[in-house]
Amino acid sequence: MTSTFRELWLFFRRDLSIARTYRTAFLFEAIEALFGVAMFFYVARFVDSPQLQHELPQGGSYFAFSLIGFVFLDYLNAAMDTFDRSLEEARDSGTLEHLLVTQTSLPVILAGSAIYPFAATTLRIAVYIAWGAVLFGFPLRDANWLAVAAVLLATLLAFSGLGILSASYLLLFKRGNPAKWFLLGVSSVAGGMLFPVSVLPDWLQLVARLNPVTYALDAMRAALLGGAHLHAVLRPLLVLLFFSAVLLPLSMAVFAWALRRTKTTGTLMHR
Amino acid sequence: MNSLGYILPGNRSLRHAEHDPSRSTQAPSLASRLSSSGRHAISFLVPEAAISVEAIEKFFPPARSGWRALLQPFEKPSVVALAGISFEVRPGEALALLGANGAGKSTLLRILATLLLPTGGRAQIAGHDAVRDSRAVRRQLGYHAGSDLGFYARLTGRENLRFFGRLNQLSAGAVARRITLLAEQFHLEEALDRQVRTLSSGTVQRLSLARALIHQPRVLLLDEPTRSLDAIAAAEFRRFLKSEILRGGETTLLFASHALSEIELLADRIAVIDAGRLLACDSLGGLKQRTGATSLEDAFLCLTGRAPYFAGEGAAE
Repeated sequence: MTSTFRELWLFFRRDLSIARTYRTAFLFEAIEALFGVAMFFYVARFVDSPQLQHELPQGGSYFAFSLIGFVFLDYLNAAMDTFDRSLEEARDSGTLEHLLVTQTSLPVILAGSAIYPFAATTLRIAVYIAWGAVLFGFPLRDANWLAVAAVLLATLLAFSGLGILSASYLLLFKRGNPAKWFLLGVSSVAGGMLFPVSVLPDWLQLVARLNPVTYALDAMRAALLGGAHLHAVLRPLLVLLFFSAVLLPLSMAVFAWALRRTKTTGTLMHR
Repeated sequence: MNSLGYILPGNRSLRHAEHDPSRSTQAPSLASRLSSSGRHAISFLVPEAAISVEAIEKFFPPARSGWRALLQPFEKPSVVALAGISFEVRPGEALALLGANGAGKSTLLRILATLLLPTGGRAQIAGHDAVRDSRAVRRQLGYHAGSDLGFYARLTGRENLRFFGRLNQLSAGAVARRITLLAEQFHLEEALDRQVRTLSSGTVQRLSLARALIHQPRVLLLDEPTRSLDAIAAAEFRRFLKSEILRGGETTLLFASHALSEIELLADRIAVIDAGRLLACDSLGGLKQRTGATSLEDAFLCLTGRAPYFAGEGAAE
């Protein structure tokens, strides 16, 4: 176990060292985040009304509701994208073969390559929320940070499975991320990102109830805006953990099979 | 302790196959099995191969374009790349794979490096099966693909070597010591603290070889190691390989090359491969004697009936 953590740390340090060579990137991302938050603030000011606030689950401002939906989409995007992007970069730079001839196991290589992108996305989200809190009055007073962390972790695990399935698809077919297109497409309409699912027709509400993103967002808003304790978000957490328990082993098995297939067909390094 | 030794081809070194628990993870030999059964240790020759290839076959699925390419991962492999090749490489020996483009040299090396699965047959490194026991195989080998790709371009040479060394289970201290030693041997001192993207192809090649050797593998697999080097850098690389890697007789070398001068300089034996078949595996003298040729180029032509891709290079250098 110690050896595994050491190896995971090596991947994190590798990616951190690479990121440090792009010195201005973080600064520009922080500025970009400021403009993004400002946009949501002014859209919210334009559409906000007492009736709209009444419709929102936590009864707060539309600015807080939509900003959480937006940054959560960023997180979801990272979970879905990280594995196949790491794989694609390793393949294109030629490092994939050299990673695969080391004594480090495939699950560790995959997990290790995802740590930094997840950490960077978490930091980016924190910057968004910080801009919102400092400049635009995003309400953080009531947040229950323990519940927020638990929801983030459960979300990460649940969607990492889908991300690894996407990476398996990339290994076999070289381009495309159908799981991401499908989930982000469905979630943008039936996930409660920018509007509550209660405004959807009945059949789309049913779709939303089958979508793990809906549970994750409900729990996140409850923890961040409503100050919900862990026990209050237990149900969505259990749903997310159920998705993780099914998807993670399944995705690792599919990835191992896809890798074996590419070793059979000789297409591991093909683009 | 058994004193088990034999003389290698070319009389390059006398290797003692004494059991070294810190490095050896070889399958138990007959001698050790006899010892463990309570008998006295017996001294006799145990020429266990460092690399053993038995009737290896590899078929690939046919290349497809358009929408049919979607089905390629599931197509039945039917294109022959290797058609039942068998040979052994003894510990400390240097064996060259010589063949035209598409002969199957890289495919064979990639099977041994556990990057490809054979369709049939068996490949072993230091007694470990390349398919069933791939992790143990990777512990024994260093792999260098002969291109200047394969590094993190924005990391320094030292950061790259440290990363791959640690992934090969070396401690931080051991990696630091190996980097210092290899940098000295490979004249990489200046490259260590520069980003890889700023290094010349020749330096990156040496860095790549240093990476392949960082965990002190018993077996070194090189796929056209001088492919992207100019004539001077290639000559320097060969001299280095000869004087620093092969001289000690500690490392077994299997390499693929088109450069005849490279093969003549480095190889104890030469395996001539054509269209996935092994035509001959012998020393340079043996090949010349068998074909009646006066040069490796002529011997290759005689065996295959075709000119090697780099037919002129050996003569030119």
